[in-house]
Amino acid sequence: MKKAILPYFFVGPHLILFIVFILLPTIYGIYASFTQWNLMNEPNWVGLNNYKTILFNTESTFHVQFWNGLKNTLLFVLFSVPLLIVIPLLAAVALHHKRVKGKGVMQAILYVPGLISISAAALIWLLIFNKQLGITGNIFNSAVAWATTQPYAWIIIIVITVWGGLGGNLIIYRASLAGVAQDLYEAADIDGAGPFRKFFSITLPSINFPLIYTFVMTTAGAFNVFGQPLMMTDGGPQQSTHVLMMYIRSLAFGHGESIAGMASAMAVLLGVVILIISALQYYVMSRNAR
Amino acid sequence: MVKSFSISKYVAYTFLVLMCVIWVIPVIFGISTSFRSQTEVVSTGFRLIPETWVIENYITILTNTSTAPIMRWLINSVFIATAHTFLVIVVISLTGYGYSRMKFKGRNLLFFTLLGISFFPGVVNLIPSYKIIDTLGWVNTSWAMIIPGLAGMGNIFLVRQFMLGVPHEFDESARVDGAGDFKIYFSIILPLMKPVLIVCGLFSFIGSWNDFLWPVIVYTDVEKMPITAGLLLLQDIYGNYRMIGQLMGSAILAIIPTLLLFSFAQKYFIQSINLNSGIKG
Repeated sequence: MKKAILPYFFVGPHLILFIVFILLPTIYGIYASFTQWNLMNEPNWVGLNNYKTILFNTESTFHVQFWNGLKNTLLFVLFSVPLLIVIPLLAAVALHHKRVKGKGVMQAILYVPGLISISAAALIWLLIFNKQLGITGNIFNSAVAWATTQPYAWIIIIVITVWGGLGGNLIIYRASLAGVAQDLYEAADIDGAGPFRKFFSITLPSINFPLIYTFVMTTAGAFNVFGQPLMMTDGGPQQSTHVLMMYIRSLAFGHGESIAGMASAMAVLLGVVILIISALQYYVMSRNAR
Repeated sequence: MVKSFSISKYVAYTFLVLMCVIWVIPVIFGISTSFRSQTEVVSTGFRLIPETWVIENYITILTNTSTAPIMRWLINSVFIATAHTFLVIVVISLTGYGYSRMKFKGRNLLFFTLLGISFFPGVVNLIPSYKIIDTLGWVNTSWAMIIPGLAGMGNIFLVRQFMLGVPHEFDESARVDGAGDFKIYFSIILPLMKPVLIVCGLFSFIGSWNDFLWPVIVYTDVEKMPITAGLLLLQDIYGNYRMIGQLMGSAILAIIPTLLLFSFAQKYFIQSINLNSGIKG
């Protein structure tokens, strides 16, 4: 008898936490998306109405917000993810060069911004891009108000994202490159292959799995973007950087009465998009890898 | 061949040095601006080194205890991140022991079911999580940030993977000597888990310190919020860059704890990747 309950002393506390803070809210989040709910009272079942409104009712502000938010979120993913793969990969390859010295210091410099919260980083970067007082205005004589003019508003969001997000993928690629068999390169040298040939024929295929992993994880993370546009542009100009997470937050937790049911439906739709894209990426990339 | 090797060396150096300059300038710029007076910033514009170093910005922000109580926010953040990290270590070591060393019916099925569910995008549970925190009476308390994060599966996955690679000899011999599970967990497995627990602890601390979306949602009380949520209010309080030194000083104060942690434990951050050899490929 004692033997049978003992394991639950070990896994039980976490199991309870998991049920209360992950399983229940996930189920409830899906349920709430079929209701009219203000977070306070009991939700009112409305069937598919929220989804119909969001997806098809062109008169509704929720429809406009959802599609604008989804469009902007997709734009962010399209701009940021390739850079968050390619730049850390190039940096890792450069750091992997045998004759390069000071690897530790350079890696630390590139890694550190990842430890800085978005709100602190944004205060500094906004000053850098400030028209009168920043670097862009003073050194490059740019008279642009970056945060309120497109395409500069997107540029500053992407800059701060790449600056802060590079370190994680960098150390994954560095560890992967260290694991690539050296005799492959030696054989390529004998065959007279140049550095580009070696990179595309040996390096990339050898780190195939970490590439898939970082691609899928970086993309899923990018879909949840919230802090960078909130801090850097507050969604402007004219809501052109207003991402879906910002709409979800302001509908559920903004001023005035909460519209949590509609926000939940938007959250479920975003979740479905993330799941589909992750699955597609994984499928396509692991197929091409063979 | 030797020639192409040295050309590639210069290409690599140029690229890296350029990147490092771009990456480090914002931090230096933030620090130096926090030591410049408002008049200097406005009259001389951009400088990487202050003409005259002033400390007044820091005095102003550290003595502000009403609209932007930054000391209060820092203390809240330290408490939240420390308590969260400590509990993470307790929970993941206990749970990791359970899923890797104890035998019970449906163990692996349970583990992989939880893992599968946890892959479901977190955005869906955001709103109900708030409702649960509200029901528990935790809105505007530190519990809202300390407890929910303990439910995650990522760290437990790492601990379990790590334990699968540790030979059973140590705990088996203790078991033969008559030691129970709690004794084995505490005196044998816990010390063995140290490398993975340190890494998970560090990332939990950094993650908790820098969390932004959740504190912005669960804190409305200025006295109770952590520093990340507090900084969001600063643009209104110190004006839209009318008190620049104060803004920069506040950002720098928010960064210092995580940078200190990194400088002491850098090797664990960099080596963390070795714990998950699956990713490395």
